[in-house]
Amino acid sequence: MTDVDLSEAEKTFILHSMQDNFREDGRGCEDFRHMEVETGLISNTNGSARVRLASTDILVGVKVQLVPVDPNKPNVGRIEFFLDCSANATPAFEGRGGEGLASEITAMLTRAYSCPSAIDYPSLCVLPGQQCWLLYIDVLLLECGGNLFDAVSIAVKSALFNLRIPNVTMTKDEGGIELDVSDDPFDFKRLDVAGAPIIVTVNKIGHFHVVDASEKEEVCSLARLMLGITEKGTVTAMKKEGSGSLDTDSISEMIESAKKVGVELNKCLLNILMTEEGQEVKPVGFLR
Amino acid sequence: MPTDTRRISGPEISHSPYDYCLTPPIDLIGADKKRLDGRLPAQLRPLFLRAGVISQARGSGYIEVDQTKVICAVYGPREVLRREDFSLKGQLTCDFKFTTFSCRLRRQHQQDNQEKDLSVQLLEALEPAVCLQKYPKSQINIYVTVLQNDGSALSAAIICASLALASAGIEMYDLVLASSVAMRDALTIVDPTEREEEAVLNKTHKAELNAGSMTVAFLPSINQVSAISSDGEILCETLTKSMRLCVENCLKLYPVLQQALVKHRLDKQADTS
Repeated sequence: MTDVDLSEAEKTFILHSMQDNFREDGRGCEDFRHMEVETGLISNTNGSARVRLASTDILVGVKVQLVPVDPNKPNVGRIEFFLDCSANATPAFEGRGGEGLASEITAMLTRAYSCPSAIDYPSLCVLPGQQCWLLYIDVLLLECGGNLFDAVSIAVKSALFNLRIPNVTMTKDEGGIELDVSDDPFDFKRLDVAGAPIIVTVNKIGHFHVVDASEKEEVCSLARLMLGITEKGTVTAMKKEGSGSLDTDSISEMIESAKKVGVELNKCLLNILMTEEGQEVKPVGFLR
Repeated sequence: MPTDTRRISGPEISHSPYDYCLTPPIDLIGADKKRLDGRLPAQLRPLFLRAGVISQARGSGYIEVDQTKVICAVYGPREVLRREDFSLKGQLTCDFKFTTFSCRLRRQHQQDNQEKDLSVQLLEALEPAVCLQKYPKSQINIYVTVLQNDGSALSAAIICASLALASAGIEMYDLVLASSVAMRDALTIVDPTEREEEAVLNKTHKAELNAGSMTVAFLPSINQVSAISSDGEILCETLTKSMRLCVENCLKLYPVLQQALVKHRLDKQADTS
């Protein structure tokens, strides 16, 4: 991630203010920063979203493609995640510099979305045993301002909400079944994303458990727990990150706080997306 | 590429025959309350541990958990090769690899995404245990190879790597132990085999809320969890309960690891004298 050099005094300041239940920007331990979400802003994709969480900036584009089914799972569609760490975010990402971070984030997303209830996988199957939709979910990291995993997962969920999959008509002739993908932009079906998880990262700073850490706070935290939380409050993936270790009691506390925040976040996001859908707003895009 | 006309060229894409035999959903425990391999739900598999199996490595370890077999070598501490990687804290690198023949389906020689993910998880588990500040400007390399995978490969790898690190004489705060569980509905089974792991993750009906697996790495003497990861959809309460169960199982393995280490030291002493 980007280099933030904090002096010992600055670290102590953050740690001490945490003890008085204050964070450097005045938030409580379970508060998120201001977030902006916009969907459908890239016309060449089947679904797109941009999330700006304080200064973290994520752009997601989803493209769909018809592919032969996986012989292991003949009745479901597939998704694939790709993440590109743009060198615009930090020069450290130049060349192959961002690869490690990219594979970490995609691995976490893949794990979080691998449970069957995350999205309606059977609906992505066009012709059981033969053809299904493959969703290419491409994430672009434009700016890092802390809490990348959460922001990426929110952006992915929003882009999937925005996804418009063209309808396919099948006609049977002597040669077999012919597939015809509709090119009418208004002839599409949507994907149910109610079950899709959001990743919530809980950082341990001092003795406190903090969500949505800023870059400075991330430097102060030695260990963090990442959880994919669904709307129902179930955990679809979990991992610990950082060089420190945690004791069992604080892990269970962290899980609880992640669950609380995750359920609320899922609810808010879906509400916002629904309202955005209802009103005709002009895309803002990158001009603010 | 020029084609050889005397050969019959095969299809460009080929699939393993296993791809086409759909595994029927299995019951984790049968009517006699026993698992497929005859174990009770809370019963661990027998474990064999030995240090010093690779003579040219600084330290090494071998673990056998029934049919899961993992070998690990530790090299270093040695000089950091690239100047830009210089740091006052030592660096730990982990390389996790399944051999191509270790699983039911053949794996590729190149490290795939799952192996990369497991390498990172292994590193997360071991890093808190190693006194890295004692090794400035140097790196320690850990290479883990799974020879045969019959479930709980990550936890076996963590135990094996911590034994290898200790036998290499790397200064550590504590040995690292690891344990896995698999869950389905109200049932929790410890130390799952590959079939059981697959069975909980490949659930077909959506109704089940609780189905997944979990691995915990634990440092017993400082009572800290160094890594925790889960897959599948699990309720929070089950997660907490399973974590405590994993920690309990780790503690059961602690004497085994200590004994393997002591045996290694005694063997070495006998060799030199």
